[in-house]
Amino acid sequence: MRFTIYQESRQGGRQNNEDRIAYCYSREALLMVVADGMGGHFYGEIASQIAVQTLTDNFQHEATPAIDDPFRFLQKGITNAHHAIIEYSAKHGLKESPRTTCVACIIQDNIAYWAHAGDSRLFLMRGGKVVAQTRDHSRVRLLMEEGVINEAQAAKHPDRNKIYSCLGSDQPPEIDFSRKTLLENGDILLLCTDGLWGVLSGEMMAVALKGSNLMNTVPMLLSQAETKAGAHGDNLSVVAVRWEQSYHDEENQHSVSTQTMALDEVTTRFDEFGRNPAYKTDLSDDEIEKAIDEIRAAIDKYNPKK
Amino acid sequence: MAQQANRPLPNAYQLDEYLIERQLSLGGFSIVYLANDAHGRQVAIKEYLPNSLALRGEDQICPIVSPEHQAAFRYGMKCFFEEGRALARLSHPNVVRVLNFFRANDTVYMVMEYEHGRTLQEFIQKHQGHISERFIRGVFTRLLNGLREVHAHKLLHLDLKPSNIYLRTDNTPVLIDFGAARQTLFTDQPILKPMYTPGFASPEHYTSRQDLGPWSDIYSIGASMYACLSGGAPQAADERVKKDVLTPAQMRWGGQYSDRLLEIVDWCLNLDHLERPQSVFALQKALVASAAPPPSKAVPSWLERVMGKLKKSTVK
Repeated sequence: MRFTIYQESRQGGRQNNEDRIAYCYSREALLMVVADGMGGHFYGEIASQIAVQTLTDNFQHEATPAIDDPFRFLQKGITNAHHAIIEYSAKHGLKESPRTTCVACIIQDNIAYWAHAGDSRLFLMRGGKVVAQTRDHSRVRLLMEEGVINEAQAAKHPDRNKIYSCLGSDQPPEIDFSRKTLLENGDILLLCTDGLWGVLSGEMMAVALKGSNLMNTVPMLLSQAETKAGAHGDNLSVVAVRWEQSYHDEENQHSVSTQTMALDEVTTRFDEFGRNPAYKTDLSDDEIEKAIDEIRAAIDKYNPKK
Repeated sequence: MAQQANRPLPNAYQLDEYLIERQLSLGGFSIVYLANDAHGRQVAIKEYLPNSLALRGEDQICPIVSPEHQAAFRYGMKCFFEEGRALARLSHPNVVRVLNFFRANDTVYMVMEYEHGRTLQEFIQKHQGHISERFIRGVFTRLLNGLREVHAHKLLHLDLKPSNIYLRTDNTPVLIDFGAARQTLFTDQPILKPMYTPGFASPEHYTSRQDLGPWSDIYSIGASMYACLSGGAPQAADERVKKDVLTPAQMRWGGQYSDRLLEIVDWCLNLDHLERPQSVFALQKALVASAAPPPSKAVPSWLERVMGKLKKSTVK
């Protein structure tokens, strides 16, 4: 496989970045994941981190070096992540489990397979045009498809951030799968959160990316989107890959070739799990009482009074 | 705002079920009191009271926190809880026991076991340079048992120093004050920046915090052992990084203590964290092995340091 890949996540105008992104590849398969932890829910980034980590961990086990059934892999990975989030919140006694969207894509044998839950998107771009994209699990998208509202109204709709499928909620996620999509040389797959597509349309990005160097153009698009979104803009994250499966020799210094990789080797890239410690510093009286109760319980358990 | 020392609670103040006897110590983040519980048992009570954020004036009980400091005050409280949580889960004879945790006077309190004895700091001051090898080995081997337990819980102490090592009357050591463990969380809050005791903090305490690890506590152990030998704190690590004038223990006390012990002290005090014992277990093993050959890594690095020093001094 040969491809150029770029990923970046920015905090935008928010206090914390709840987006998580990652890609990893073996000699024969490439996985890309974007997850958008949900604002309003506590610890959104925990949900998105679990989603990204579950999928990349699975990939490391199953890409040996090819994945048996990519669709099954995606289905299992996303479902496992959903359960892992629920387990996490049960274990930590969270009142409401954190939630996240997830879009993931596998490329193997020149074929792309993708799946998503929520409103993080994948765009397939070819020749400066969007030739395929995921359909958000949002009411606004449904309204648009029914012709109730148009695109411009959708962009301003008060419920535009509301989604009906996600990982971590009481309902199991509704997962949509793509078709098996044969890739052509030069195709671009771009996975992103609504922080990016909500500001720059897929069509616009496709034009900008046509024939350009991903390494320069993608960060430029992010900067543009960040500026446009303003001081209170959402987190924005992207993983973009240009497929370069071809046998003519156009050397690209940034492209990755997996030709020389060992059969059991997997390379993974994702950002460290961290949170801005100054974030959500408000400690309510309830939380103080809860923390004290927790400590007292630990004292009774580990250091019972003599 | 100028940093003012907070007033302690008055003696004989009834705090929850405890009667305050007197103040034991005052730190930047807390005040520690000696008190009696309902059964007349003595306990140490630590009061969360960061100097820079909360002020208790004369004749006041509840500290005053200005609105702009409210968030930071609460954040620090969160970290105080972390310390409580961490300590509550530890149950080890060489680590201080937490007995209770409660809220009062708009702040929070942690009740710990109080034992008769003195800090290693006081012991060093009293015995200036006349501490026996047997004592050092005995105290530190047991102390490391406690530290091992701490590390096993994925915690770092980060403020190990003779004044945080308490000696019971039978000279068994107890690790106290885990304040710094929580203060690692404070790094992004300049107003709550941790303060380290010069001489006992490792170089990575000052600069590359991502390198902090068991080896950082081990540096502090080495510095504390060094202090037992010299009677005072060794040169501060941030100074050593600029210009290292710390005489290796092996040079300074060769012949007075076993080579093995002196090698261990120098090994722990290596400025490069990778050259130090990497785990408490490794250090303990070295400390109890009586006359085994020195760890291979320590020798060249120590020699290099001595050679470097000799070269430097000839240039002068």
